[in-house]
This record gives sequence, structure tokens and C-alpha cells, in this order.
Amino acid sequence: MTNDGANGDGGDTEADEAAEREAALARTIWADVDRALSGINASPEPGALDLIVTIPKAEVVRGLRVLKDDEQLNFDYLRNLTAIDHQADGITVVYHLYSTAAKHNVTIKAVLPNGDLAVDTATTVWKAANWLERETAEMFGVRFNGHPDPRALLLPEDMTDTFPLRKDHPLAEIEALQGEGMAYAVEEE
Amino acid sequence: MTTELAREHEYETQDIMLNMGPQHPSTHGVFRMVLTIDGEVVRDVVPYVGYLHRGAEKLCETMDYRQGIGFMDRTEYLAAFNAELSYVQAVEQVAGLEVPDRAQWIRMILCELNRLSSHFMFTGAFGTDVGVFGTAFTFSFRERENVQDLFEEVTGDRMMYAYFRPGGLAWEVTDNFEQRVHEVLASSRQGISDMDGLLSDNEIFLARTKNIGIISAEEAIEWGMSGPSLRASGVPMDIRKDEPYLKYGEVDFDVVTGETGDVFDRFRCRLDEMRQSVRIIEQCLQRLEPGPILPDRMPRMLRVPPGEAYVRTEAPRGEYGVYLVSEGGNRPYRLKIRSACLSNLQALRDMVIGNYIADAVIILGSIDIVLGEVDR
Repeated sequence: MTNDGANGDGGDTEADEAAEREAALARTIWADVDRALSGINASPEPGALDLIVTIPKAEVVRGLRVLKDDEQLNFDYLRNLTAIDHQADGITVVYHLYSTAAKHNVTIKAVLPNGDLAVDTATTVWKAANWLERETAEMFGVRFNGHPDPRALLLPEDMTDTFPLRKDHPLAEIEALQGEGMAYAVEEE
Repeated sequence: MTTELAREHEYETQDIMLNMGPQHPSTHGVFRMVLTIDGEVVRDVVPYVGYLHRGAEKLCETMDYRQGIGFMDRTEYLAAFNAELSYVQAVEQVAGLEVPDRAQWIRMILCELNRLSSHFMFTGAFGTDVGVFGTAFTFSFRERENVQDLFEEVTGDRMMYAYFRPGGLAWEVTDNFEQRVHEVLASSRQGISDMDGLLSDNEIFLARTKNIGIISAEEAIEWGMSGPSLRASGVPMDIRKDEPYLKYGEVDFDVVTGETGDVFDRFRCRLDEMRQSVRIIEQCLQRLEPGPILPDRMPRMLRVPPGEAYVRTEAPRGEYGVYLVSEGGNRPYRLKIRSACLSNLQALRDMVIGNYIADAVIILGSIDIVLGEVDR
């Protein structure tokens, strides 16, 4: 494929990649998820282990509810809920779902733009989201609208103006030093 | 007498707040709960965690992939091998590394032995919670010590092993490893029956644990519980069976489940699970053959291509997940540790309300929390 590209035959490579992606998606449960999420603008990605589906943030909780209630998909178990700071591209909230009966997984993502770091709470879908959302909220400064208990979980109660897991949050001096030491070792390599 | 007095003077009862922890021997680490009690009965409970928060996830973003292994040990310090396993598997998944067979079998043996040592810790501490003071603890710790000795021989450390590497193992096991594992298994087998004989049929123990702190299967799933605490409610969810990793697909073992989801079932599940661990290790030893423990061409500095994976494994306390997001380079862009105990602990409120204060302690003990993992 790289050879094709070098020969200036870029169009074919793109077509190949698209076909490969389609084939990879066909091996996942995307067809079922797509059916269940009808009416919601979802975009899939095959993912290394599990199917990844990105849903607009306004519809994400409705999507999660649909995925849980769908008889065939039956995503009754929230494995994990967290966020990733993509700096200029906002913060992505990530939900890892599992079905205890059908034993399949899906990863749901919702991108929150920097100006509006808020999304509806998933505690209405699974109780398990409660503490996970509290943790995500305090670490990233994401607001979960309608959360029943929006207190800090791991951080001190008065630490409300700084969000440690954001990329712009500075490291303590000792940690920064260790990081530098690392960079030094890399250059030696 | 008191009831007569109460009637005579028409005393009104008033709920009082009782603070428990963070420094309290029965909270298994630094954990605090504020109980609202009406006499002896718990009406509400508010758990407070975070006393052990060290920012492991943030620190991992600043360290290269090999340095991150040590942080995993320090989160789940009672089952450090299982914690390391999730982490190295996440790195292997994103980096596309193949692990040699021998390394996989050794990892399995060590992880199951770690399950044994972790559950021995549980039976000992839980016995103390319930009131079998001393005996259960010393019996369990004798057995746990045997396992720890073996770990020390292999890794050089008694707790923070840092022995697994992305791709395989740090170094080869000791020459007499197999013989030592057999010895440890023999003593552990005896230890398991000792604990069984000491606790399972003890009338006082049964009176303290039966039908206490019940959680239904639906509620347990709803709260995201996992591991023996979930299986005790009758949900046969075990990642080793459902989504086999390492060589779990090639060995025979049963998933142990409970029926009622009470404190006794959670104890019983762990005890029976230990017997299954012994079974798994015996099969691993039969399959263990000489061979490489790292892939042929391992770079000295591991660079991982962009990608992401949420890798979960069945640790002694439940699902220990590592969500690794790489944007290339030699360190993670984001690393999230999914703690089994954090999710299990959420359900504590439902289990404790309506029980006596003394039972609150054993219900907490029966979830078997490790605060290092909850707070990370």
C-alpha cells in the first residue's frame, strides 16, 4: 500500500483504506448499534479491541439509554467512565459499556467543546456513573448536568478552581524534574 | 429498664451522626464513613474516599511506559501482579506486541498466586472484623507469607514487584520455581481447608454473616460491581471466562457464584475461588515449557503508535481496567485506571442502610477494599 502511494496513485489507497475500514466495522456489532441508534447522528470507528462510536454531546445520554434498553444489545453494565483532554479540541467524555448477557462491548465518546464543558449525567441510565462522574468532574472541570451528588470525590472540597488531569495543569516541581530526567534519557538513546 | 424510663418520661429519640475513620482499624485503610444512626441501626451512610490519592494517572502521563509499571503496583498493592498485568497488556495491545508462551504461563501462575495471597489477606482481616480475633489472622498470614516468600524469590520484592514488562517479563524465574510453586500450593491447599474449617460452619460466624448486607444481582450490575462481590449475588461474570486473556481459554476452572448476595456469600465465593486458583496453577505448571520470555526484537525504548485500548482483567477484587490513549511517543497521552473497589464501594450505602453499626463494619470488610486502588 505504501508503494501505491509512492507511485502517486493516492486515490486507490484511500479507497482501499475505506474498504478496509468497512470490513473492520462489519466484524464489530456496528450494524446492531446503528440500528438501535437510529435517528442519532453517530459515527463509528473499528477500534483495537472494542467498537468506538462518537455521538454528539446533546444526544449522548439518550443514545446510552437506547443502548441499555435495546433488547438485543442490552448494555446493562457501565464498565468505565472517564475523559480525555484534547486541549484545543475540547474534552472527550468516554463511556465503556458491556452487556453481561450478550458479553459484548462498545465504547461511546462525546466531544465537549472548550466553551461548553457540560453534558447530561449518565446516572439516570446506570447508578454506576455516580462516583465515576464525580471523579471526572473534579479532575477535568466537566459539568454533568443533573448529577444527584456533585461533590468532589478524591480531591479536597475546596479545590474547585484547578483541574489536575487537564494537560495545562502544571506538575509539582519534583514530578517535572522526573519528567526532565526522562527526556534526557531519551536523547541519550 | 430503659424502655420503661423512655415511656415514663416520653423521651424522643434523635438520629445522631457517627464518624468512622479515616484512622480506624476496621476500615481497611484510610477510609471514612459518616453514619447517621438511630440507636444501633444505621439510617444513612456517606462514604468519603480520596485520602490516598497520589495522582497516579497524571504521573503516568509524565513517565515512559516502563516506569508506569511501578505505579500500578502502588495502586493495587495487595494484588500488584494483577494490576501490572492490565497495564502491560494495554501497552502490548496498542503497541502490537506478541507475548511469548512461556511469559504468558508464568504471568498466569503469578497472577493466580497473587489471588491466593490477596484472598488469604481477606479471610484473615475479615475473620478479625467478624470477631474471630487472632486465629483467622495468624492462620491466613502464615499462608500468605509462603506466597510472599515465593514472590520475593522471583522478583526480589515482597510487595511492589515491577516484574512484568510490556512484551513479557523482566527476567527469568528462579531455577527451582516449579518445585517452589508446588510447595506453596500444598501449603495453600491446607490453608484453604483450615480457613474453611475454622469459619464456614462456625455458628457464631454464620449468625454474623448470613442474610446481612444483601444486594440483588440487578442492583449489583446497576452499581457496576465486579469480581467476587458481584458473583456472590449470582451473576457469573468473570473476565477470565467471558473474554479470555493470557491462556485462560486453555485451562479448566469453574466460575464460583453465590445465591443470596449476602456477606456470607461474598466470603464463600472468595474461599471457593481460591480452590479454583489452585486448580488453574496446577494446569499452568503442566503446560510450562522452556522458551523465551520476551519477543525477539524488543526496542530498548518502547515507542507506541497512536491508538487506544481499554484492557480489563479479573483481579482478586474485580475488574481492574486500564484505558490507555497513545498519541505516539514513549509515554501515554492519557491513562485511566478503572478501579474495581471504587465501583464496589459505591454500592456500600445500599447494603449498609437498615443494618446495625456492628454489621456496617463486616459489610465493608466483605467488599474487601484496597484504598490504594480506590484513590489511585
